[in-house]
Amino acid sequence: MSSSESPDATFLIGLDDSAGTERATEVAIELARAKGATLVGLTIVDEPDITAGAAMGIGGSSFKQDRDKALIEDAHRRAREFEALFLERCGKAGMPARVLEITGRPADAILSEMEHHDLLLLGRDANFRFETEASDKRTWDVVVHRATKPVIIVPEEPAPPTRAAVVAYDGSIAAKRALQAFAASGLAGDRPLHVVTVNASGAIAWEVATEAVEALKVLGVAAQLHNVVSVLPLAEALLQTAVKLGADFIVMGAFAHSRLRHLFRGSVTQQLVEKTTIPLFLTH
Amino acid sequence: MTRTPLWAVIPFLFYLLGIAFVPIFFGHFWERNRNKLLVAVLFSIPVLLHLWAVPSGGALLGRTALDYLSFMALLAALFTISGGIVLRGALVGSPLVNTAFLAVGALLGSVVGTTGASVLLIRPLLRANERRASATHLVVFFIFIVSNGAGLLTPLGDPPLFLGFLRGVPFTWTFRLLPQWALVNGALLAIFAVIDRAQFERERRSPRRRVNTPAPLVLEASGPLRLEGSLNLLWLGGLVVLVFLIGSFGERALGDGPLRPVVQIAGTLAFAALSYRTTEARVHEINRFSWGPILEVAAVFVGVFVTMIPAMSFLAERGSSLGITKPWQFFWASGALSSVLDNAPTYLTFASLATGVADGGAGVLSASNLGALATHPVGAQLLTAVSCGSVLMGAVTYMGNGPNFMVKAIAEQHHVRTPSFFAYTLWSFAILIPLFGVVSHVFF
Repeated sequence: MSSSESPDATFLIGLDDSAGTERATEVAIELARAKGATLVGLTIVDEPDITAGAAMGIGGSSFKQDRDKALIEDAHRRAREFEALFLERCGKAGMPARVLEITGRPADAILSEMEHHDLLLLGRDANFRFETEASDKRTWDVVVHRATKPVIIVPEEPAPPTRAAVVAYDGSIAAKRALQAFAASGLAGDRPLHVVTVNASGAIAWEVATEAVEALKVLGVAAQLHNVVSVLPLAEALLQTAVKLGADFIVMGAFAHSRLRHLFRGSVTQQLVEKTTIPLFLTH
Repeated sequence: MTRTPLWAVIPFLFYLLGIAFVPIFFGHFWERNRNKLLVAVLFSIPVLLHLWAVPSGGALLGRTALDYLSFMALLAALFTISGGIVLRGALVGSPLVNTAFLAVGALLGSVVGTTGASVLLIRPLLRANERRASATHLVVFFIFIVSNGAGLLTPLGDPPLFLGFLRGVPFTWTFRLLPQWALVNGALLAIFAVIDRAQFERERRSPRRRVNTPAPLVLEASGPLRLEGSLNLLWLGGLVVLVFLIGSFGERALGDGPLRPVVQIAGTLAFAALSYRTTEARVHEINRFSWGPILEVAAVFVGVFVTMIPAMSFLAERGSSLGITKPWQFFWASGALSSVLDNAPTYLTFASLATGVADGGAGVLSASNLGALATHPVGAQLLTAVSCGSVLMGAVTYMGNGPNFMVKAIAEQHHVRTPSFFAYTLWSFAILIPLFGVVSHVFF
C-alpha cells in the first residue's frame, strides 16, 4: 500500500443518467484507485418536490395524487437503473462500490450523506430533480455553499490528455482552505501543481501566489507560480490559464465572497462551474 | 326588507381564497376529501346561523340544496360518461393532426363539458406526440382551448354556465355566445398551428427525442383510429336531451316546486349509472377512472353553495352602487377573479351583481332567477359579458378551472414537461390577454 492510500476512505458520487455523472464516475474511479478508497453511489428520490403543494382548481387534487404516485414510482424505478449502471461501471473497472437510495430533497440528502464520506463528486449537469425539473443547478449550488467536505464538480467534456492541477488562489480564507484541503487529500498524486493568481496588477498577483507556493512548501508540496494579468472576466482568465497548463483539475475555494456581492457582481464559482471543461475541486 | 349584512359575505370570500391557496401552502392537508369537507362545513357555519335568523333563510337553503344536488349530479354524469369513452388507434402528432384534434376538442367541450373533453382527448393527444421533442406548447393550448374556451356554447360546457342554467338561464341562451366562442377558439387554433408548425420544423432540422420514456399509463395503441365505449355516446345524447327538455319544458310539465329538480337529478344519475354499468373495466382502466375527483368537487362545492347564498343576495341588493356597470367591466372583473378563483362561484357572484345593476333597485330581477336577467335588454348584455369572462378567463392560470391542473397532472405522468405556474401565466399573458382585449373591444 502506498503512503497516499486510505483504505477506509469513501467517495460519494451523486447518480443520475447525465453525461456529467458518467464522467464523475470515471474521475471517482481514477481517484479511488489511487487512494484505495471505496465508491458509494447515491440516488435520490425527490419526494418532497414531487408532492409539494400546487396551484390548482377544484377537482385537481385527485389528479395530483395520481400524478405524484406515478412520478414517485417512476423515480424509484429510475434510481434503480442509475444504481445498476453505476455498479456495472465500477465492476468493469474492478473497483469496490456500493449504492444507497435516499428519499428527500436532493441538496439536503447529499449534504447529510456526505458527512459520512471523504469526498463528493457531482456531474455538472446531474439532475436530481429529474421528475419535476428539466435541469437542476440549485442542488450543486446549495451543496457547494453548505458543504463541509470537498466537492468535485465534473463537467461533461472528456478528460484532457494531460495531467496537472491548477490551484486558483486569491488569498481569501476560502482559497487557503481549498489549498490545504487539496494538499492534505493527496488527490494530486503525481500531477504537477500550478498556483495561479489573477489580478489587475502583476506584482500583486505575484505576491499573492508566492504566499500560496510557500504555504504548499510547508506542507511538503512543490508548486509552480503563475501571476496572470488579464482583461477577461476572472472565471474565463482562470479557465484559459488552466487549459494552457494542461490541467485536469482546478482547485479553488468556493463562494469566497458574501451572498450580497454575488447578487450584484455574480459569483466566480458559479461562472466557473458553468463554463469549465475541467473538473473543479471546491471547498467552502 | 332586510338587507344582507356585509359580514355574511366574508365566509364566501375567505372560502374562495382558501380553495385557491390552501392546496399551495398546505398541499398534504388538502389531499384528503374529509379535510376539504371539514373546511367547507367550518366556513358554512356562520352562513347557516345567518340564514337561520332571516325569514326566508330556510327556503333559500332548501333551494340551494337542490341546486347543489343537480349540479353535482350533472358533473358526475358527464365525468362518468366521458370516463367511459376512450379514443384509440395510431395517430401521428403532425401540426395538422394536432390542430384538428384541438378543433374537435373545441366542439366537443360544449357537448361533454370541458372536463369530459379534456379527459377524453388529452391522453390520445399526448400519445400521438410521444415522438415530439417538446409537447409543452401542446399542453398549454389544450388547456386554453379544450379545457376552457370550448365550453362556452351550452350549459353542459362549463360549470359556471350550468349554474346559470340551474338558476333559470334558458338552455339555448348560451348559443348566443357563438361569435365569442368562434373568435377565441379560431384565433387560438390559428396561433397554435403557427407555433406547432415552427416547432415541428425545428425538430425536423435537429431531431431530439424526449429523454424520459413515457410512464406505462396508457395501453399501447395501434391500428385505425377508433372509439371504445361508444355506447356512452348514447347515454351522453340522452343526458343532453334530458337537460334540454327539463330546462325548456320542465316548469310547465313538472311545476315550479322541487319535483322538477328531483326528476332532473334522478334522470341525470340514471345516465351516470347506465354509463358506469355498461362500460368495460378495461376502458375505465385506460382512462384511470376513479370517483376521487367527483368526491373532491362534491366536498368543496358544499362550502361554495352554502357560503354564496348571502353573497348573492348582497350583490343583487347593492350591485348598482359598486361601480361595475358596463359590460366590458363585467367581462374583465369576472374574468380577473375567474383567473385565480374557481370560475363557477365567480360567475354566480357577477351574475348576481349584474342583476342588481340591471334591476336598478326596481325589485323586478332576482339573483335566484337569472332567467329574467337573460331576457332583460341590459341584463342580457351583462350576463353575456359575465359568461365570457368567467368561462374564457378560467384559462389564465392553473387555478381558474378544474380541468387545467388535471391536464397538467396527466401530461406530467407522461413525462411531458409542463410550464410552472408562473411560466404558464406568462403564456396566458402573451396570448390570452391580448386576445381577450380584442373580444372586449369587439363585443363589449
